[in-house]
Amino acid sequence: MVKVSTKNANGTKIESADASLRILRGYFRLQCRTQSPIPNPQSLIPLMAQTKRRFWVRPRELRRQGVLGINLRNSDYVLATNPRKHYPYLDDKQRTKEICHQRGIPVPQTYALIQRYGDVRRFLELVGQRQQFVIKPTKGAEGRGIVVIAEHDGTEFVTSSGQKTTLPDLRYHVAGILAGLYSLAGQPDRAIVEQRILRHPVFEPVAVGGTPDVRIVLYRCVPVMAMVRLPTVASRGRANLHQGAVAAGIDLSTGATFGGVCRQQAVSVHPDSGNPIGGIIVPGWPKLLAAAIHLAEGLEMGYIGVDFVLDAELGPVVLEANARPGLAIQIANRCGLLPRLKLIDAQPAEMFRPDRRMELVAMLAELSC
Amino acid sequence: MHMNARKVAPRVVVLLMVLGLSAVSLRMNSRQKTQLRPGDSMWRMTYVVNFRADKAGAKLRASFPLDTPSTRVVRREPLLAPGMKTARPRNPRSENREVAAVAPQPGDFRVTAQCDIHLSPRAAWQSNRPRTDLTPKAAAAYLRSEKAVQAESPTVTDTLAVLRTGVSNKKGLVERLFEYCQTEIRPGAKDAPHDAAGALGQGAATPLGRARAMIALCRAAKIPARLVTGVEIKLGADVQPHRWVEVLSNGQWESYDPENGLAHELPRNFVPMRRDGAEIVRGRNVRGLHPTISIVRMSPPPGAATVSGGRRLADIFDLTRLPLEVHEILSLILLMPLGALLTSIFRTVIGIRTFGTFTPTLLALAFVYADWRTGLMIFAAVMVLGFASRSLLDLLKLLVVPRLSVMLTLVVLCIAFGIALFDYFGVKPGSQVLLPMVILTMTVERFFLTSEEDGVGFALQLLAGTLLVAFCCYMILCWATVGRMLLVHPELHCFTIAALILLGRYSGYRLTELWRFRDLAGPGA
Repeated sequence: MVKVSTKNANGTKIESADASLRILRGYFRLQCRTQSPIPNPQSLIPLMAQTKRRFWVRPRELRRQGVLGINLRNSDYVLATNPRKHYPYLDDKQRTKEICHQRGIPVPQTYALIQRYGDVRRFLELVGQRQQFVIKPTKGAEGRGIVVIAEHDGTEFVTSSGQKTTLPDLRYHVAGILAGLYSLAGQPDRAIVEQRILRHPVFEPVAVGGTPDVRIVLYRCVPVMAMVRLPTVASRGRANLHQGAVAAGIDLSTGATFGGVCRQQAVSVHPDSGNPIGGIIVPGWPKLLAAAIHLAEGLEMGYIGVDFVLDAELGPVVLEANARPGLAIQIANRCGLLPRLKLIDAQPAEMFRPDRRMELVAMLAELSC
Repeated sequence: MHMNARKVAPRVVVLLMVLGLSAVSLRMNSRQKTQLRPGDSMWRMTYVVNFRADKAGAKLRASFPLDTPSTRVVRREPLLAPGMKTARPRNPRSENREVAAVAPQPGDFRVTAQCDIHLSPRAAWQSNRPRTDLTPKAAAAYLRSEKAVQAESPTVTDTLAVLRTGVSNKKGLVERLFEYCQTEIRPGAKDAPHDAAGALGQGAATPLGRARAMIALCRAAKIPARLVTGVEIKLGADVQPHRWVEVLSNGQWESYDPENGLAHELPRNFVPMRRDGAEIVRGRNVRGLHPTISIVRMSPPPGAATVSGGRRLADIFDLTRLPLEVHEILSLILLMPLGALLTSIFRTVIGIRTFGTFTPTLLALAFVYADWRTGLMIFAAVMVLGFASRSLLDLLKLLVVPRLSVMLTLVVLCIAFGIALFDYFGVKPGSQVLLPMVILTMTVERFFLTSEEDGVGFALQLLAGTLLVAFCCYMILCWATVGRMLLVHPELHCFTIAALILLGRYSGYRLTELWRFRDLAGPGA
């Protein structure tokens, strides 16, 4: 019998038999979709001490756990350390890409940048002979307006989720992007046509209908927390947590995934495929961390989130950077961000030298939750 | 930089509070010191109306005095009508200051109303009388023959024909008509005729009948004339309405008072209330209507506009100086920051998400203008129909701006036919259902996009949040007492800004985060 091991937040390993997992699979699926208040029997040790899931906690308890709230994130981290004038480099994916190019950080190859309505007609010419490509707005948020084409014959296009679409539909979509339909404040936008990322085989068992992405939160150019977001059927292939994607924490020192959360509910297997989420080592982890640090330096921002995808051939590539990274990463890691941010603020200046940053990362990884 | 902000923000808050407090006390001091100028006086007019409503929906209307060069209404209490629903008919074209109360069921009711009038013998508030140029349609209204003003009756035309002989110009004719009405028509008892034809025929009439006779004669001579109903400001427990006539001559309305024999310049203490011949207090489906108007002189209250004649720059800071109509709009506008404060609390302390930042406040403002039930029903209709048509519109693959414009058009049509529908089914729509159409359009669009991208559940959650915040803002905007207080003391908004700064520096958890992160507080975590 194949033993599957998962690692929880405390670092203890839980072993479970493959067969019993299979039996529980249907139950988990139900758990994830119906948000049942009944605690998941496999929901890992920290929650087992609780007899029933509480609906409400006191602010003091959250403070004790070092949970970062939105107001504090905005006032003390985002507003305080992110200069406004650098925002355009993050809000515009094309400009982020340019910085990555300058610094030699791998990004998906750009096939075309559509800026004018006139170019919408020539869209197919710009794509050329490539069978697979991605269309996305440069200023989109939360994965909006992204279309992934898996194959086409010049008239009929098939998206990654298997939907068929036509050239006029795609042109309409591009025109919508240019008009600012998906941009942050509705201002006119540009559309990027770029290389489609091929899902790395390591995530094959736990990503359904889309490509998982790895989010690193960096504070003062030091990675402080990481998670992987796994698309599900419910999230329609998007790695969007509030739509039902699964998030799992990543151990900063090893790059191994642990835990797992789906719609605020602890899970240890993927709700669709039933495969365990924990214990996956993110390939090229040191390279990924180095790239994140490098990009944060280039962007000159204090508190950012950098999103990576893992390409089967290129390894980790940068998708985008975010000036207001969400706080769900704390739920995925079952750990508050504040102790880590405070630890970094307490360090002397010499610890922030490029060669010593990894020491800091190691210190953070040691920090217990 | 943020360390700076942490230190500076409390100081700014303290500074604003000190500023607010000192401004309030300064204003109160100056109020107490100001005396009425010699000859000026303050009067309080109280209406007490007893009546019996015949059926549900019976309506009572009362009119307040209009401003003249020497009198101004400085304060008006809302209608006090226990058990009744008060409504303020808002017709921007009407100059009448009318309020209404609707009886929900038949029975006996008592309504009271009150207003304060500042009387100043020195003309100051309207230095030059505006020229009136009537459109042909408006002129026709002042020339037509009415039930009690029979301008076309033979009695009137015959009298006019006699009086007209030997008079060449209009001015001379009006003078002669006035002369005739006050000397040839005797003041009659209560049962004397009160219509024009009767007055001219019998040669005796009530004061109303004499005024109507003069109007009928003027109208028969094709000179625009109207009946003015008002009161004379003087001490009295049961002040009777006084009627006089206004005749349009060379673009100016000239006053004639056949009862007192006064012409052109009426005494300063005559205040008009209606210029369309209607009664001061009138009702529909009511019986035994018995209005009593009492007038008392009072000491100048703090907050009354006391400066007349001569402009001072400091007057700019006194908003109560403005006409009464402006008061209402200003006090509503001055309440808006409180709505914004509430929205901020909902966002940063509670963590409720809405469509757009100020959409709830603007919706609330619209609901204040319309009746909130009508507003809500039309809002729901717009949302449902807008959502349906937006889904259909998606098939056409239109570019963004034209598509939004189509949506705007549909929303406008939706509102228009919504009002028509209400009218058809006998539900009286609020006279101004001016919902913010652009805001509604954007809400429909956002609702559609959110439900497409993040699911209908999430979109409905945002919609519920929007309505909840809008409802709370509505409650604030309806708070007339605070609105009036802010009108007298707009400097109170120093405290609003201070509160907003404190909110802006609030870095604690949002209430919703106590739920969101509840799993992180586990004892073993």
